[in-house]
Amino acid sequence: MSHERDLPGADPHVMEPEDLSPEAASRRKLLKLGVGALGCGLAAVPIVPALGYLVHPLRTGPGDAGAMLAVGKREAFGAVPVRVDLYADRRDAWSRESNVKLGSCWVLERDGALQALSTACPHLGCAVDFDVGEGKFKCPCHRSAFDLAGKVEAGPSPRPMDTLELEENNGLVAIRFQRFRQGVAAKEPV
Amino acid sequence: MRPGEWFEARTGLGSAIAKALDEPVPGGARWQYVFGSVLTFLFMQQVVLGILLAFYYSPSASDAWASTAYLNDQVSAGWFLRGLHHHGSSAMVVVVVLHLLQVVWAGAYRAPREVNWWTGLAMGGLVLAFALTGYLLPWDQKGYWATQVATGIMGSVPGGGGLQQVIQGGPEYGNLTITRFFALHVFVLPLALGGLLAAHIALFRRHGVTPPAQLDDAELKRKTQPFWPNQLFLDVLAMTICAAALIGLTVQTHGADLFAPADPASNFVARPEWYFLFLYQLLKYFEGPLQIVATVLLPGAVAVTLFALPWIDRATSRRASARWPALSVVGLLMAGVTALTALAIVEDARNESYQHGLVVAEEEATRARKLALEGVPPAGGIAVFDNDPKQKTRKLFKEHCQACHTIEGRGGEEAPSFDDYGTREWLFALVRDPRSKRFYGGTKAHTTMEPVPASAVSDEQLRATVEYMLSLAGPEVGATDATMVAAGKALWDSTLECSGCHEVEAGKSGTGPTLAGRGSAAWIARVIRNSAEPDLYGDTAEMPKFADKLSAAEIEALAEFIHSQGQAKPAAH
Repeated sequence: MSHERDLPGADPHVMEPEDLSPEAASRRKLLKLGVGALGCGLAAVPIVPALGYLVHPLRTGPGDAGAMLAVGKREAFGAVPVRVDLYADRRDAWSRESNVKLGSCWVLERDGALQALSTACPHLGCAVDFDVGEGKFKCPCHRSAFDLAGKVEAGPSPRPMDTLELEENNGLVAIRFQRFRQGVAAKEPV
Repeated sequence: MRPGEWFEARTGLGSAIAKALDEPVPGGARWQYVFGSVLTFLFMQQVVLGILLAFYYSPSASDAWASTAYLNDQVSAGWFLRGLHHHGSSAMVVVVVLHLLQVVWAGAYRAPREVNWWTGLAMGGLVLAFALTGYLLPWDQKGYWATQVATGIMGSVPGGGGLQQVIQGGPEYGNLTITRFFALHVFVLPLALGGLLAAHIALFRRHGVTPPAQLDDAELKRKTQPFWPNQLFLDVLAMTICAAALIGLTVQTHGADLFAPADPASNFVARPEWYFLFLYQLLKYFEGPLQIVATVLLPGAVAVTLFALPWIDRATSRRASARWPALSVVGLLMAGVTALTALAIVEDARNESYQHGLVVAEEEATRARKLALEGVPPAGGIAVFDNDPKQKTRKLFKEHCQACHTIEGRGGEEAPSFDDYGTREWLFALVRDPRSKRFYGGTKAHTTMEPVPASAVSDEQLRATVEYMLSLAGPEVGATDATMVAAGKALWDSTLECSGCHEVEAGKSGTGPTLAGRGSAAWIARVIRNSAEPDLYGDTAEMPKFADKLSAAEIEALAEFIHSQGQAKPAAH
């Protein structure tokens, strides 16, 4: 090929019409199959391991319910709900933190016993507030309202507010923090 | 209308693909044309792998190492994907060089393909920039220290100080360094490379392949084959060979290295990635004001030469025999780079301190990654060592003991120092001068013991006495010299006045501490619990009682830690 042949003007993009012999045609077919097969193999190299890699968080399974966390003295709680934050050590993917906020709950006395209601709305997880004037729990996001027992009075929440396990020991109150699946009627830990 | 036709009528995708594939290859498909396609494949694979890594990697000085260790050591197949990405960069460098050599051999840099030659060179530079920026991202010792050298070089060039600060986000490495390198590595460089690659391929399609010079037009035309499937089959076969080699390498090395987290206070044996070793070696030959020759002038001259290759080559024919000046220039360059790389490798192989440094680094990496399985504290990076029980004890000591007791030259002087605690020398010096600041000089009440000067007890006698006292501590203190112990006991029983205050048998108590078990870890633990026991310091005790403040395990760990201060220390990390 001469130097001049390289210069613009000569169009290398024109292919002559071909008359392929049957052998040449089947050879090309084989090459095409080869390209397809090898191409799929190449794509599989990162994709196959990536499947397990991407869904790795599923392997952790439902969260451990964790320990009973001290929240304060028995006298601190009464008929009016008090919001308490729950602190504990936590593993978060690669990090290990000590004494960090896990979440919070409402604690109130009803019929002489204390009960703890998670602030996470069972509908879609917004933090449920207490309306002192109306004496009701209200979700600020989608207008779910709950009575003091946590029962749904209005709005889209599919189940009552989630109660958390509470324990009184020597005048000290401890609560086990847990999260539950949102948007369903049944209370299932996640 | 069939769905395929419906879609084709609206998008024209099928004909676009057909047009892209339907390219005539004059002279037919050849192995020497595969390199560009293999590079395109490698780049695409790197992009896919890089995106996958980003699902777990967190670019901050506190999280980068911890998240890399997590994705590498805990996430399913994380080590494999990261290993492929790491070795993929080496593969790219190798294939870039092969592609460049092929292009030079074929004379494909010549008119009218100069611009394509330049886009190719620019992409080669970008591949190196990818490697440089990616090396730092794990924020481990190797990446941190090797990149320090690279940015240091940038800063040493006249007027480069500002550039260095801009690149590393300030006068020293930190969060901004990593966010910048991350932004460059995952956004800027891929976009730049993608853009250049599009231009490169468009220009390639404009000019076509550069077939062997000895084939004449008639033969080229006669042998012409379509890109799809003839050339593409060879390309994909080459990609497969490359991918197989990468998988083999990744499995064999169990992925990429991850050294201990970056520690700015350490002295790590920093080496760049193997394809930068020639530059590293070059740096050894140019010192002081000449450094710029190795860092800027020579590499710059090489780059300029390569860019100017289309003009250096004045030959009228594309045959290799007619182009020996251009071919020699590139050949010499490659020979130089190869020789420098080989020298660097040989020198390191013979460098004992480097080899030792590597062993230490590997050990520390293993230790750090094992500790990281428990989760890394929020401070990140080297805070992983806080998971080590020894480190925890050290922290405990700092919190509860160091205000009064010195360790490693740091701490209060209100109580005895623990440097070399319990050694012969320590005990000897204590008896000679108990009121020195090193011992009880800083305490309020421990003034009861009188110094024992050399005029009263000779050095030799005192050495024997010390040996006897050590033997009383019990077997854990280590071998004692039996002859000296006997001599010491004789002195103790007959001449010395020590027994007036110190009992030697367990269970008895005098005004001073009973010496049975003294200095052993169990004894130290008793002192920590309550030093006012009658057989310990009794009513002269000043130290707080820790029995209720610390757990039994913590007290034992502290006692063991203090006891170990007098023991032979392992090589420092």
